[in-house]
Amino acid sequence: MGDERPLPIGARGAVILAIVAAGAAAVPWLGLTPGSLVPSDGGLTLVGEFLVRAASPALTSEADPVPEGTPPLLWRALAAARTTVVFAAAAMSLALVLGLVLGFASSSAWWADDLRGRGRLRRVVAPVLTWSSRTLMVLMRSVHELLWAVLFLAALGRSPTTAVIAIAIPYGGTLAKVFSEMIDEAPRDAAHALRSSGASPAAVFVFGLLPRALPDMIAYSLYRFECALRSAAILGFFGFPTLGYYLKLSFENLHYGEVWTYLYTLFALIVVVDWWSGALRRRFLA
Amino acid sequence: MSAARDAEIGRLWRSRPRSRFARASVVAMLGLVAWAWIGGGLVPSELLSARRLANLERFLGEVTPYPLQGRTFDLGVALRWAGDLLVERGLAAAATTLAISVAAIVLAAIVGAVLGAPAARTIASPEPWLPDPRRPAAPVAFAWRGLVTGSRAVMIFLRAIPEYLWAFLFLAMLGPTAWPAVLALGLHNAGILGKLGAEAAENASRREPQALRGLGASRAQVVAIGLLPMTLPRLLLYFFYRWETCVREATVLGMLGIVSLGYWIQDARARNHYDEMVFLILLGAAIVLIGDVVSAVARRVVRRAS
Repeated sequence: MGDERPLPIGARGAVILAIVAAGAAAVPWLGLTPGSLVPSDGGLTLVGEFLVRAASPALTSEADPVPEGTPPLLWRALAAARTTVVFAAAAMSLALVLGLVLGFASSSAWWADDLRGRGRLRRVVAPVLTWSSRTLMVLMRSVHELLWAVLFLAALGRSPTTAVIAIAIPYGGTLAKVFSEMIDEAPRDAAHALRSSGASPAAVFVFGLLPRALPDMIAYSLYRFECALRSAAILGFFGFPTLGYYLKLSFENLHYGEVWTYLYTLFALIVVVDWWSGALRRRFLA
Repeated sequence: MSAARDAEIGRLWRSRPRSRFARASVVAMLGLVAWAWIGGGLVPSELLSARRLANLERFLGEVTPYPLQGRTFDLGVALRWAGDLLVERGLAAAATTLAISVAAIVLAAIVGAVLGAPAARTIASPEPWLPDPRRPAAPVAFAWRGLVTGSRAVMIFLRAIPEYLWAFLFLAMLGPTAWPAVLALGLHNAGILGKLGAEAAENASRREPQALRGLGASRAQVVAIGLLPMTLPRLLLYFFYRWETCVREATVLGMLGIVSLGYWIQDARARNHYDEMVFLILLGAAIVLIGDVVSAVARRVVRRAS
């Protein structure tokens, strides 16, 4: 290692130096002084009260008096969890469709010479389709789901479906990018064997290429489902009845016990999905 | 020809990875999706109601830059409008957004290193590298195991809470400085980077650490000289991947009141200035793209150097 280095710092060292320099420049620009990190007296008691309640999340509503007709707290938490799961699952189903279609269209393996015959049509169609789908993916991905939600709120007004679409667009773009990379990086031995035995391009793809990439794709999709749960919860800050909505409300009413109840509910949802994807990975990818 | 092909397809089909759990999982997922669409109260057709379509039409009218509304398009006017908006607040907010993402990811790397190292069993166990004939005393083994479990639990908690929520909580405690955004992104990503770093340390080759340990190096020396250089490329890749997400999130965190791009997006939305809002959202997308390109270049440099 490092026998003939032209400089005392290698490329890796230069990258790390750049990171440190960027970090050092960001601190004064943002005015990050240690003094502004100390919470005010009011802030400090608030931190204390909030953290203390971590050990004792509320089991019943903390409003006093409880407004008439409010369902019990745990029921509210469950209903919010249900909406969160509904939004996340529906958004992931749309995102998967978008991701599969765009991911296949933009994967270079699908168009590779050694996996498909040569044809004049393909020479023209392949680059156009590849690059248009890649551009679309970038556009979908580079706008955050909350900003998609803000756009849809302004354009169409609030509706559960807009929340689902707002999550599905950037997630579809991300899935497409990752799927196309996974397909391109999958081992091609089986695909070549099929191709040389005269199978059609579609059969090469479905039976040769896809099964090799599938375990990774499923594991990644489950991870994104976990992210979708978080995104769906946060959309509640914009008035959708997911966990974030109730969480914000309770926090603003200083009902910290309730905040922790909702936090632990979200935590439980994520732990379940995390366990699920872990178990699947162990059995499936072994 | 076709018989050979069918045989090949059949062979591949039979040799596909199979597991009852995986199959049950797929069925459960399909069931979950069907339930969400059927029983979840989602009515997509409602989006096409007359009221919503009228709303959409009004919105599309207001997205046109204000000085151009109701007039023929004039590129000069449009450019002046965009330039004014950029100088007035767009560029400063964009710089703040980038600065927040950089400060946050550096903080995440530091906290992640502190939490991730004791979470790796190849670092935090009585004798991680050499076969040790003596069994460690029970309290010693227990303390090491507690350290691993404890740091992992902290990291799970840090990453389970969404960064937006962390920022909301910190904002209430610290007031509207840049700290809430930096801390929120930094802590959430510390949980992620720490976990990925610990996994990288556990998957790294054991030969070099073993050799160093055999020569009598201390735990800290083995980590610094043996383990860190081997895992560094991978750690840097993760660092840049997570920085890309930080740029996206830093934009959005402004909607809580921290002066990144999101602050002005929310402001324009509150004033119903949809032309400004869409322009700023597009500016945010441009920053995300810049971040992606910088990150891709940096990752290529790291890959080539290793």
